[in-house]
Amino acid sequence: MSQAQSQYPGESRESFMARVHEALGRTRTEKPSEPPPQADQNIVRLARPGDDLVAMFEERAKITGMKVIPIAAADMTKRIVSLLEELGARKLVVGVGSLPQALGLKDSLRRKNYEVIDWASSPGLEVQFEADAGITDVHAALAETGTLICNSDAGHSRGLSLVPSVHLAIVRRSDILPDMFDYWARLKGIPGSQLPSSMAFITGPSKTADIEGELIKGVHGPKDVHIFFVQDA
Amino acid sequence: MAQTPVDPLAFTPPSMHGEHLLDPPLPYDITKRASAASVNIQLQQFVANGTTAKDSARKLVMPATFGEHVDDVRALAGSIKQHTLDHLDYYLEQFIDRATEAGVKVHFAADSKQANAICLEIARQNNVKLCLKSKSMVTEETHLLPALESIGVKTIETDLGEFILQLDNDAPSHLVAPMIHKDRTAVGRAFARELGVPYTDVPTELTQIARQYLRALYPKADMGISGGNFLVAETGSVVICTNEGNGRLCTSAPRIHVAFVGIEKMVPTLSHLGVLLKVLARSSTAQPLTCYTHIMTGPKRAHEHDGPEEMHIILLDNQRTQILREETREMLRCIRCGACLNACPVYRKIGGHAYGAVYSGPIGSLITPMLRGLDNYKDLPNASSLCGACYEACPVKINIPKYLVQLRADIVKSNLGKKADAVFFRTWAMTLKHSLLYRMGGWFQSRMFRLQAGRTLRKGSPYSARGWLNKLPGPFKGWTDQRDMPTPPAKNFRHWWHEHQKSKGQ
Repeated sequence: MSQAQSQYPGESRESFMARVHEALGRTRTEKPSEPPPQADQNIVRLARPGDDLVAMFEERAKITGMKVIPIAAADMTKRIVSLLEELGARKLVVGVGSLPQALGLKDSLRRKNYEVIDWASSPGLEVQFEADAGITDVHAALAETGTLICNSDAGHSRGLSLVPSVHLAIVRRSDILPDMFDYWARLKGIPGSQLPSSMAFITGPSKTADIEGELIKGVHGPKDVHIFFVQDA
Repeated sequence: MAQTPVDPLAFTPPSMHGEHLLDPPLPYDITKRASAASVNIQLQQFVANGTTAKDSARKLVMPATFGEHVDDVRALAGSIKQHTLDHLDYYLEQFIDRATEAGVKVHFAADSKQANAICLEIARQNNVKLCLKSKSMVTEETHLLPALESIGVKTIETDLGEFILQLDNDAPSHLVAPMIHKDRTAVGRAFARELGVPYTDVPTELTQIARQYLRALYPKADMGISGGNFLVAETGSVVICTNEGNGRLCTSAPRIHVAFVGIEKMVPTLSHLGVLLKVLARSSTAQPLTCYTHIMTGPKRAHEHDGPEEMHIILLDNQRTQILREETREMLRCIRCGACLNACPVYRKIGGHAYGAVYSGPIGSLITPMLRGLDNYKDLPNASSLCGACYEACPVKINIPKYLVQLRADIVKSNLGKKADAVFFRTWAMTLKHSLLYRMGGWFQSRMFRLQAGRTLRKGSPYSARGWLNKLPGPFKGWTDQRDMPTPPAKNFRHWWHEHQKSKGQ
């Protein structure tokens, strides 16, 4: 590949930019004389730290079609197992990073005879397509829209929240941020090259309304998203 | 065996009455398709149902979310896009540098042909056999799919609507709901014929068939193609907003990801992206956010276990720098939410294909003539009643009616209009400027219509008896083809006012 690389058709950056400059009435790139408009928090912020964020998150997540199951940290394995029994799911891929509340989860599930694949062991793309369910935690959750934020990193996959037909997400109260502006603030100053290659804001199960406007869940991604909402963490 | 050489960039798109759906012979004449659409009951029903439902939902959700600040939020979103366009040179350079640092190969395409050629070269270098595509209007604009197929790369649309359109050799007719013009039985027939499954017209079953068929392909695909809803200058990220999940799959499972993005999709920072995300899905489908908002910054990192090894972004100009000129810059604010299509009484009546181009509806009537020549699409700026519903719906406050009028003026100035129209409007303007001429004209028109009413009344027309004319002669025929005209009263308002003032004086 290396010898053929970089020989692409198309234009040079310079001639491409030259047309942009011409349209803007200048001959070279100029720094804006005024800063961009500020995102005025008084009009765009839809949730604030003082709001009842737990109730808001629960309500909004449900509106999007996700299921919210409030649990205590100590009951996590028990509650997850009972849902897996109900769903008849046997093969699981788990990507929970170093979530302290889920430390024993993989071993407990294995002891109960589930086939558990740890995402951190880099098992490859195919296992996601074979799995009955993907189990993940989240990098944050947004109260304003009931959104789960799932990023890619060593312990977390792009596909676990997407490929298996059921996604089980573990969300702690402490993961909840009021508004997406609070998440942007957290990323402030991190250069693009240090960001995860993928950040997914998940607001509902996979949906389509392409056939006569009829709403159908689970077209490419999961039909069901179950949120295990840990109340004491 | 000798083969005829094929130009990989030659294009054979879907057709209507022998004409290409999104690329008809130019100059384009809207009459044929608009007339056909106006008597197509099924099309009218589907388009009207689909658009009115989304339009009413938007009207409920925007104030329910932003309260008294709806217009402030739209103004803010518009000003962010305007600022970015005013300084697009700066933000583009910043984006290119940041994306490159994150490991993206950024390409520059002056036009469709270059954009496709770049993509074909990426496919060749990597020996790509199977390519999966998520929905992208830009790749419709460049006719990417036939180009890839012509060099033997099997390319499959994965958005459910686009997948069905591809099986039927049909084309999208709405920015957001591409197969708004088709019904479930058409889907059932396409699946039975092309996928060899038993016929069904149950939407949930049809969706399952597509899901199973496409899932088998994801692990095998070498290349995934996406568009981009936004580019973030500060981080070098591409953002796609989708509901089905195919967009995330196409950009995550294959080894190579190629994003086609128009340069106008830029925003300065993640926080500005936030403002636009808050209005995009609400204006489009009344959702708070699309199910998946996928922010992608570079290929898979060394410590990550899935994601593409290579990421390419093809930045497309294709006449956008023409629109970027000060007089028309505002048009480029568009975030393709489709709200103006849903609000437009003309779009509802004629559907997307009548616009004869990739971008339809009110915004298409501005962008298409700018991208492809006003002389080629001079019907489009006139395909509007200027009611202003599009302006009211637009989340980035593009003054669409104003620019439609501006384009109409350009048509007149460059003598692109019909000669007869020019004479008519000159006469009309003169009549409106002079009181005597105006009164004479009014009197003449009223006499003529009343004569016509008298004639049809004598023939026993029930319309005339109820005070309506259902057929007018000569140049007025077009009006009564679609609706009736009230018979003018014996006395007009001016006449009545005159008498009224006199009687008051007594």
